Amino acid sequence: MNIKQQPKQWRLIDTGIRPAAENFAINRAILEAHQQGESPHTLRFLGFRPSALIGFHQDVEQELNTDYIREHGIDIQRRLTGGGAIYFDEQQFGWELYLNRQILGGQDMASIAERICNTIASAMQSLGINAMFRPRNDIEVDGRKISGTGGFFDGDSFLYQGTVLVDFDVERMMRVLRIPAAKINDKAIADARQRTTTFREILEDKTPPLNDIKSSIADAVSREFEVTMEQAQELNDVELGIYQEALSEIDSDDWVYQHNRPYDESSMLESMYKSPGGLLKSCVMIDRDHDRLKQVWISGDFFIKPRRLVTDLEAALRNTRLSELRSNIEAFFRDYPSELLMLSADDFIQVIQMAIDSAEDR
Amino acid sequence: MASVNGCNIPEDLFYNVDSNVWASIDNSGVVTVGMTSYACSLSGQIVSYTAKKPGKAVKRDKSCATVESGKWVGPVKAPVAGEIIATNPLLDAQPEIINEDPYGEGWIVKIKASDWDSDSQSLVSGPGALKLFDEKMSADGFGGC
Repeated sequence: MNIKQQPKQWRLIDTGIRPAAENFAINRAILEAHQQGESPHTLRFLGFRPSALIGFHQDVEQELNTDYIREHGIDIQRRLTGGGAIYFDEQQFGWELYLNRQILGGQDMASIAERICNTIASAMQSLGINAMFRPRNDIEVDGRKISGTGGFFDGDSFLYQGTVLVDFDVERMMRVLRIPAAKINDKAIADARQRTTTFREILEDKTPPLNDIKSSIADAVSREFEVTMEQAQELNDVELGIYQEALSEIDSDDWVYQHNRPYDESSMLESMYKSPGGLLKSCVMIDRDHDRLKQVWISGDFFIKPRRLVTDLEAALRNTRLSELRSNIEAFFRDYPSELLMLSADDFIQVIQMAIDSAEDR
Repeated sequence: MASVNGCNIPEDLFYNVDSNVWASIDNSGVVTVGMTSYACSLSGQIVSYTAKKPGKAVKRDKSCATVESGKWVGPVKAPVAGEIIATNPLLDAQPEIINEDPYGEGWIVKIKASDWDSDSQSLVSGPGALKLFDEKMSADGFGGC
């Protein structure tokens, strides 16, 4: 099959705001029906009640502050797709594409992600947001994330989904997710704000209504794939049949807690290092079972250009094996055009290594 | 060693080309299952691996494990039906071994096949497998490993 034989009309469906379990049961329903040839290529928009959503392979207790979540009536769910934990509420919406690999011309998974992210970014650009794809799976504005994405493939069919941060309660996100910040105070909240941005922050009172943002995304997808969209009001019968079965599996503790290694206090580490170029601080989360750096936040008082280098470095270090910390940071600085005042790659290695080593002093 | 578009495809293994998995059987009827080098190339570096637990039954062409690369998740489909009797402990800590050695240390699960004679009819090996992989790669528009 080649691209010329692909249908030129896709389905557009908006399933509204739903509990997370229903949203993910719909993921499986459309994808399985698509595999069976019973569903058209589809662009779906979706919304969530307040939810903490972990990646498929993540452990609930390691990623989420479950006491806070339960006290506040927030859903916990496991996505079908990979990546990290997110907090999602009515101030964001999701988009999803259900396609087959042939339509993307047989590209590898990373290239497919890139093409889709570029398409969504172009929709944001048409609304006055300077959004860009950031490898591997984010859409960002000047180094600050505005959309996170992930996918699930099964045979030739795949689902690729992402968020759109229209507005975002950073403080609540910090209370829901275990993130690299030892204390939630004004400074930590300000640091977290530096890593994400929203339509509301950039466009303020010119932020378009949700439906206009969705229309721009539908237009951008239509343009990129040279297709038209036909709006559907509900799932088809095959999808509804699969949905009921999927919901009973997904809306259960067996599904949500299938990975649930306990949280280890010592996996969150901090350090402070006085370099010749100024004070560097790091807060590091470690996956001890896999000897990996899960996440790192770097802050402090130093001069660096461009400023986004710090968030790009943090993104590049996700899931780095501890034994490869030095080589990964050196490779990052080798390829990254930057101006550092009295700072070097060694200083960043030093501050992160100090945090990792501090575990042994506990 | 045989290769198709730069992807190593050993001719002595059995393949389900659509699922992009390989199988080999030992004298005691235990089937080792893994991803092909073509599947590894498509997915990129694998960062997580979860297999069905030993003792669980698995149907042919249904998921016996799940892998994650970047933020993509996908199933590894069992080429034969049977009971999972082993998962690969090396991959828990170092799932990237799947990419580094897909036909050796990067095996995914071992299955006690319930009916190898029948299930293996749908698998291919030797030059026939190479031809089918070549056709699949062309149909997919794949540029090579």
